[in-house]
Amino acid sequence: MKNLKTIGKSKKKIDALSLATGTSKFTDDYDVKNPLFVSFLYSPYAHAEILNIDDKVAKEINGVVDILHYKNVTNQKLHTTAGQGYPEPSPYDTLLFDSKMRYVGDRVAAVIAESKKIADDAVKKIKVEYKKLTPVFNSEKALQKDAPRIHGEERFMPIPVKYEPENNLAAEVEIGFGDIDKGEKEADFIFENKYSTHYASHAAIEPHSVITHFDEMGRLVIITSTQVPFHVRRIVSKVLEYPLSKIRVIKPRIGGGFGGKQEVFLEPIAALITIKHKRPTKIILSRKEVFQSSRTRHPMKIKLKTGVKNNGEITFLNMHALLNTGAYGSHALTIVSNAGSKTLPFFNKIKNIHFLGQSAYTNLPVGGAYRGYGATQGYFALNQQIDIITRKLNLDILEYIKKWHIKTGETSEVFKALGEGTEGVTQIIHSCEIDKCIDQGAKEIDWYNKRDKKITTNEDTVRGVGIGFSMQGSGIPLIDMGSASMKMNDDGSFNLFVGATDIGTGSDTILSQIAAEVLGVSLDKIIVFSSDTDWTPFDVGAYASSTTYVSGTAVKKCAEKIKKQILEVATQMLDTKEKNLSVADEKITDTTTNQSVTLGEIGEYTLYTKDQFQVQASASNVPKLSPPPFIAQFAEVEVDKKTGEIKIIKFVSAVDCGVALNPKLAEGQIEGAAVNGICYALTENYKFSKSGKLTNQTFNDYKIWTANDLPEMKTIIVESDEKTGPFGAKSVGEIGINGPLPAIANAIYDAVGVRLYHAPFTAEKIYSELLKK
Amino acid sequence: MKEKFIINGKEKYLTFDADERLVTSLRNNGFKEVKNGCLEGECGACMILLDDKPVHSCQIFTASVINKNIQTVKGIGDLHFPHIIQNAFVEAGAVQCGFCTPGFIIAAYALLKENSNPTENEIKRAIDGNLCRCTGYVKIIDAIKNASKTIQKEKVEL
Amino acid sequence: MNNLKWYYPETIREATDLISKEKVIPHASGTNLLLRNLKKINGFVNLSNLPLHYTKKEDNEIEFGSMLTYNEIISELKKIDKENILVKSLINSADTPLRNRITIGGSIALAPPWSDIIGALLILDAKIILAGKNKGEFLIEEFLNTPKLKQKSLITGIKFKLSKWKTFSYRNIRTKKDMPAFHIVEMLKINKHKIQDCKIIVTGTVNRYDQIIKVENYLKNKTINSIDFSKIEQLVNVKFSGKRFTDPEYSSKLAGIEVSRGIKKLVGI
Repeated sequence: MKNLKTIGKSKKKIDALSLATGTSKFTDDYDVKNPLFVSFLYSPYAHAEILNIDDKVAKEINGVVDILHYKNVTNQKLHTTAGQGYPEPSPYDTLLFDSKMRYVGDRVAAVIAESKKIADDAVKKIKVEYKKLTPVFNSEKALQKDAPRIHGEERFMPIPVKYEPENNLAAEVEIGFGDIDKGEKEADFIFENKYSTHYASHAAIEPHSVITHFDEMGRLVIITSTQVPFHVRRIVSKVLEYPLSKIRVIKPRIGGGFGGKQEVFLEPIAALITIKHKRPTKIILSRKEVFQSSRTRHPMKIKLKTGVKNNGEITFLNMHALLNTGAYGSHALTIVSNAGSKTLPFFNKIKNIHFLGQSAYTNLPVGGAYRGYGATQGYFALNQQIDIITRKLNLDILEYIKKWHIKTGETSEVFKALGEGTEGVTQIIHSCEIDKCIDQGAKEIDWYNKRDKKITTNEDTVRGVGIGFSMQGSGIPLIDMGSASMKMNDDGSFNLFVGATDIGTGSDTILSQIAAEVLGVSLDKIIVFSSDTDWTPFDVGAYASSTTYVSGTAVKKCAEKIKKQILEVATQMLDTKEKNLSVADEKITDTTTNQSVTLGEIGEYTLYTKDQFQVQASASNVPKLSPPPFIAQFAEVEVDKKTGEIKIIKFVSAVDCGVALNPKLAEGQIEGAAVNGICYALTENYKFSKSGKLTNQTFNDYKIWTANDLPEMKTIIVESDEKTGPFGAKSVGEIGINGPLPAIANAIYDAVGVRLYHAPFTAEKIYSELLKK
Repeated sequence: MKEKFIINGKEKYLTFDADERLVTSLRNNGFKEVKNGCLEGECGACMILLDDKPVHSCQIFTASVINKNIQTVKGIGDLHFPHIIQNAFVEAGAVQCGFCTPGFIIAAYALLKENSNPTENEIKRAIDGNLCRCTGYVKIIDAIKNASKTIQKEKVEL
Repeated sequence: MNNLKWYYPETIREATDLISKEKVIPHASGTNLLLRNLKKINGFVNLSNLPLHYTKKEDNEIEFGSMLTYNEIISELKKIDKENILVKSLINSADTPLRNRITIGGSIALAPPWSDIIGALLILDAKIILAGKNKGEFLIEEFLNTPKLKQKSLITGIKFKLSKWKTFSYRNIRTKKDMPAFHIVEMLKINKHKIQDCKIIVTGTVNRYDQIIKVENYLKNKTINSIDFSKIEQLVNVKFSGKRFTDPEYSSKLAGIEVSRGIKKLVGI
């Protein structure tokens, strides 16, 4: 890129020092006077009707203020906890307190007390009479006619799509084009496989937290660890029928989200308590509660059938994705849609495609948005299928991907056919450098010296390499909206207000870089303030890999408007024409006379000197497209043939995210996602007892990696120029999590010839597959 | 209970319950830089130095460490006088959400105080009590390496 | 609010007097006690002011005060005998901050199935030194199998003999920071390509720990070149409960393989 001062530079994350010194405040760090504390009683049964709740004894405990449950919280409104655009494409199947329990960990009651200890003790004194119902845990069984019914008929979808709670069907989406039968006839080989992925926790280190209180004007303030402050405001307002104008949502620093904080399941409760008792309320989930009763990655079963000609051309592709949404349907439609919409356009030359996505209610923990959002599950299947096909046809998989993937200037019918559970948006690819990603990544992992070489390191261990390719999106076209406003100060500094939600991703920094670049000022001249529903303009929030592309464009537009105003003032001050002006180094220079005014002088002039006015502007952006970033990820593994134990030796990610506005932060997104994906593939999993109780709800038993477990990690940024994005940028937040699962599975096959269709890849599983050989 | 502790070099009286964990007492008494992520001694967000050794403050009864020397991340450096290690984390891009960062700074400080020139494996081992979900640890390791270089170059005593 | 009381004795005598009271128990570092139901406890006797932070070495015997932490033991013992099985067993136990806190005394007193210290102490025939009601020195095996010994008594130290035997430790873990599903410790005395003596213990089994006597007998007096390692795998045959998320049959197989690999490593093949 030409002459850019701030963009493309690894500028320091502007909140980093404050965080590194423990100065920045997270939700739980806010002091409120004399708050009420909340503990929840959760269902011990996976499926049960509550016949009666007796809270008398609990209520009499000294310090207990109130106990809320279905019997005393009346006029409840069905809603979804999914913090999505409005109307949400998720079923309205949730009540704050229900009389029916749908999973172990479902909310029975909330005890409100003067201290957390008192609340915890009182929870144990609530007597609940349950009528146990037969549970169903398996997504396929849940859809059978005789399955126990989890939700009632009053549940509904706020958008016109198929929804059959009477059949435990939380969502269904089906698309197709071409002719599958024709494709079958044309095929020389047909491959049909079933894949499955498992439950996982986001495991953000900060647990879900919310504080509510009334400010001095009697408005309800919600400080919350959320990715979606504006959706929180709307959902709380609607669920509690409380005026939106009286709610202010503040997003402090957020200790990681990954999709887990795109859910609005605590804020309405805290708000309800504050409204009822006129006192501040604090809810901080314990780690166990986060595991059990917040949200998870949906498990998915994928049947994938493809026909292939001898030359490798895929004649048809038929995918059936079945998502286990757990007890509630949060994101049930859109995630299963994404399993298709993010994967099927990749090989855009396939003429005959059929996709059926279904989501089943079961009596297990609730799914939700999770980095990768269905693409992770879909690419697990697609990547292995391509590995299987190319091995069968004896084709070089890297060359195969390079030959058949979607190219710049091309489109896919899938873009139009399948969006977020409904029809999508036609788009042409403007940037795609996955070929370079594959080449550079392959070189880094030394692919051709390792693939199929079965290199042994001792008598029992053998190594292999595998690839996982993928594309994601950059926001949701025609649905997402981001906006920004700016004003100029006396000294030539600028306040930038954005609704965009920095949850640790660095968006405050990136958006400031965009503004600084447009205005030709250094980064410290941009004072950014984000995500306060009273003070910043609207933004849908941090999800769908949208912030840089969607909100970033809004910032760019806004800064350009500011620049225009500045130039107008400069023409007056320098008595010249706008076309003669150049903007650089915090000055406006008349190129004909070489006279210049500084931004500080312009700031003072506009505020104090003549025809005073505030240089200010605002802008919104609704993206017409969702340009996909592309990635090629490579794993080198070592498998112990005797024990099935597996070690990752090296992991390489080569990503095309357009122009990396801040390369270090972009790398950080990929590295974090990759490591999350690696532990998801190997050690993370929800374990359930026979009665559906989560049995590993601690970090002690749910294993995420420490630095000590890391293999050699390498991240390569392969730039492309996305003309529709701010300074050429696409997204980078989610894509890095898609590759590890299939790359590792493919590498295991390369090493020992064992095909793992079902994640995660534990030593026991590999061991038993090796025995079958 | 009300007892004396030396926190960040200053005598300080904390009020706490007999069965309270140190992380809770510290936070209740204003040391909010000590984060609470799991209460099971796994995540390391609550890490502090106890008599110069990094420990999980959630795994300690407050009453068991009265009169002891406690250091939080703010005792290592603050916004106005940041420590080399804190600056190194900022420069390397090792801070994403930042919730785990105070704990990592504590672990890194303890390591570099004992060994100003650690190997990559020694660095990884020294931060084996800290979980980070954002960074994948790569930039954190970079940051500690860079801090180590600066400390050696500038001959800084920790 | 519960009525938990804290005591801060300065002498062992004071401490043992205190723990003879009803529901008053010793507190070393507290990492295990945090998991307990505190309502059933009236008082904690904080041991940190007692003179139990010592290391004594006499001739061939070493003695550690019970309040030494894992990391302190590791660094003390490394100076004297870096190949010691206790060093190898503890060096990767838990994580750095926990090794800075967990004491050997607390660890022995509450020894959970995943304890990394028990196997090493068993194989070393370590003695546990008690003060209080059951004052005296007891072999670790006796201590573990006689729960009554703990009553109203305080672990003040451990002692064991140093040896030149070769040592091996294997922890079955999912990630580097994990409580092992099982832990294998092996010690071998080799002289002129012949195994003179050996001892193998697996902890975390259904029996809590098993000495693998069949393998020990098989190996004794065997020349290194004549060892059949696949035979060792079969001879191990320890049972697991599977409670710790690992299939018990797989764990059993794996334990066999790893015992055998350990021996292979020790004899240098």
